[in-house]
Amino acid sequence: MNTKAIEVQNFHKHFGEIRAVDGVSFSVERGEIFSLLGPNGAGKTTTISMLSCLLSPDDGDASVLGHSVRKDPMDVKSVLGIVPQEIALYEDLSARENLTFWGKMYDLRGAALKARVDEVLEVIGLADRAKERVKKYSGGMKRRVNIGVALLNRPQIMYLDEPTVGIDPQSRRNILDSVLALKREGTTVLYTTHYMEEAQELSDHIAIMDHGKLIAFGTHGELVKIVGETDRITLTINTESSRVTEAWKKTPGVQQVDAENGTLTLLVDDSNQVLPRLFDAAAASGVRITSVDIQEPDLEVVFLHLTGRALRD
Amino acid sequence: MKILDIALKDMTRSFRSAFALIFMFVIPLLVPVLFYFMFGNIANDEQAFQLPVTKVIIVNLDQGSPTFRQTMANIPGGTQANSLGEIVVNVLQSPDFANLLEVMPEADPAAARAAVDNQQAGVAIIIPADFSSRFSTLGGQAIIEFYQDPTLTIGPGVVKSILNQFMDRISGAKISVNVAMAQTNTTDPALIGQIVGQYMAAQPQGDPTTTLLNVQSPAQTKPVRNPVLAIVGLVMGAMLIFYAYYTGVATAQGILQEDEQHTLPRLFTTPTPPSSILTGKFLGVLLTVTAQVIILLIAARIIFQVNWGSWQAITLMSACIILNAAAFGIFINSLLKSSKQGGAVFGGVLTITTWVGAMPIFIGFAGYSNPTVNAISLTMPQGWIVRMLMEGVNSAPLSQITLSGLVSLTWTAVFFIIGVWRFERRYA
Repeated sequence: MNTKAIEVQNFHKHFGEIRAVDGVSFSVERGEIFSLLGPNGAGKTTTISMLSCLLSPDDGDASVLGHSVRKDPMDVKSVLGIVPQEIALYEDLSARENLTFWGKMYDLRGAALKARVDEVLEVIGLADRAKERVKKYSGGMKRRVNIGVALLNRPQIMYLDEPTVGIDPQSRRNILDSVLALKREGTTVLYTTHYMEEAQELSDHIAIMDHGKLIAFGTHGELVKIVGETDRITLTINTESSRVTEAWKKTPGVQQVDAENGTLTLLVDDSNQVLPRLFDAAAASGVRITSVDIQEPDLEVVFLHLTGRALRD
Repeated sequence: MKILDIALKDMTRSFRSAFALIFMFVIPLLVPVLFYFMFGNIANDEQAFQLPVTKVIIVNLDQGSPTFRQTMANIPGGTQANSLGEIVVNVLQSPDFANLLEVMPEADPAAARAAVDNQQAGVAIIIPADFSSRFSTLGGQAIIEFYQDPTLTIGPGVVKSILNQFMDRISGAKISVNVAMAQTNTTDPALIGQIVGQYMAAQPQGDPTTTLLNVQSPAQTKPVRNPVLAIVGLVMGAMLIFYAYYTGVATAQGILQEDEQHTLPRLFTTPTPPSSILTGKFLGVLLTVTAQVIILLIAARIIFQVNWGSWQAITLMSACIILNAAAFGIFINSLLKSSKQGGAVFGGVLTITTWVGAMPIFIGFAGYSNPTVNAISLTMPQGWIVRMLMEGVNSAPLSQITLSGLVSLTWTAVFFIIGVWRFERRYA
């Protein structure tokens, strides 16, 4: 039996002159949570759209539980549950009416449909407010219904495209717990996010994307090893960053310096050895350091190391 | 089955929108109601046809003449009067005209004219002091001043008609007298009286003061149709057509809106063929317009007693409205990139096409029928529906209505093919 739930081979997609996805290949094991991590515009949603058969790849193919997204789109769609980035619900219908309609689109009918709708309403915790129109719900409740729709057909694979964008911390926590629960039930999850912490917490494997390319792939531990023993030091100073940037770039042990809004982020070999040198260089330039934050290597550091930019840029 | 699910979902959403309901049902029914009240005198079918009562101010300055009085005295069985002006007053005050004229005597000619100027009266009749004297003189010319409100037509026309008939008879009698006098070479008042008496007796209606105007309703073999209701019926037809197209366009806009609200892309991720999704959306438009047209037709029949013609005609017209409005909506929306363009495009396109298409109805209110206007209206798809409506209301042969329907269905096919092709190219 093939242990791969998803196998992507050389995906390409361009919109005019823009190469949204440029030769992306990866595979997802059955039952794991796989995260596509990258900043906005990296190509995550385009990749997931091609895996959902919503967009057709210009080149390459992908296999979803053995079904080609090019040749068998209906078979692919029938095994998927998809949570789009945006709330995709009919706001003038109630939660029950929404779930019933979407259930029909997944070929559920009659008593089976009603039973499944009731189950999903319990799962998303809206059974007592099922008759209210969705437009009266809070943002978090809408997100839960949005996820509920994707659960209706008991999918073997779930795609969640940035499901926590723009919601409150409590709802976000609920969604992350739901994703972990899905994994426990054996569902394969493909999760896209630009929040490094989410990918770090949830994922068995992570693929980092930037400018349409897959620039790194592996477990969290494997990815961190890419940057070696590099530490990240974040400093704020009392004056223009340009007065000290050049001096710090020449300081032994400093790999990279980035300045943004009065905050400087440095990748260094060993923060214990480098930090005193940074204070000396600052003092020599007449600059006073007002705060220091030292971080062990994480995905943010990995992204910074690979692209020269912060993940949230 | 999924096609119907999608269509019914769209229909449910349309009927849950207060905004949509107002435009689908309230306004199309409200506008004819406004017309109903605007045209005033909301007669019902039981009321008979009636002309309006005209206020007439009459200033009789006629002092009479001895000759006239002598002549009148010699007419066997004739009306006794001191002056011809008095006879004119008596004629206008006759009970026969009580339902048409409200005659008010006045002594001052200037005051009479002022009353007309101020629209307190429709007509002022001023009979000069020498009216009888001039009439009685051989070759004399008797003139009455007729002063009327220029904004009125029917009332003054009635008064003028009465006076003309009266004066024609009097003049006829005078000519008879003149001829007799010339032939017999006499001025004997007794003879003149006899001649006038014989002349009047020879007239079909006898005495000149008897009935001069016989106002009757048309022969009523069947109940008379209230003209206000006939106008309201046409207005209702125009509203039905305009708002059916509005609903077609607005409902088809749901395709673009679903795309922007992300539910359409989500539909495409379900195991439902894209062609079924689009067909479901199109069916939703069709069902919504169908429900609207049927409800409006029935409501118009109940509320305004609109006679839409034979059941074959109304069935054919309804089918053409529904199909054409739905296809038109799909076509227009297929040309748009986003629903944000909709307001301006719908407003402009719908207003122009419907108003041009419905021109025959609007000029019909004014009692005109212009072949050029009719031809221009047929350049719009709504024009053919309007044509069917008017053919149905006027009980035109079914073959004629069917011909208009076939042209309308051709429009429908063109709109539908282009609209579906463009949407499928975009989404499927």
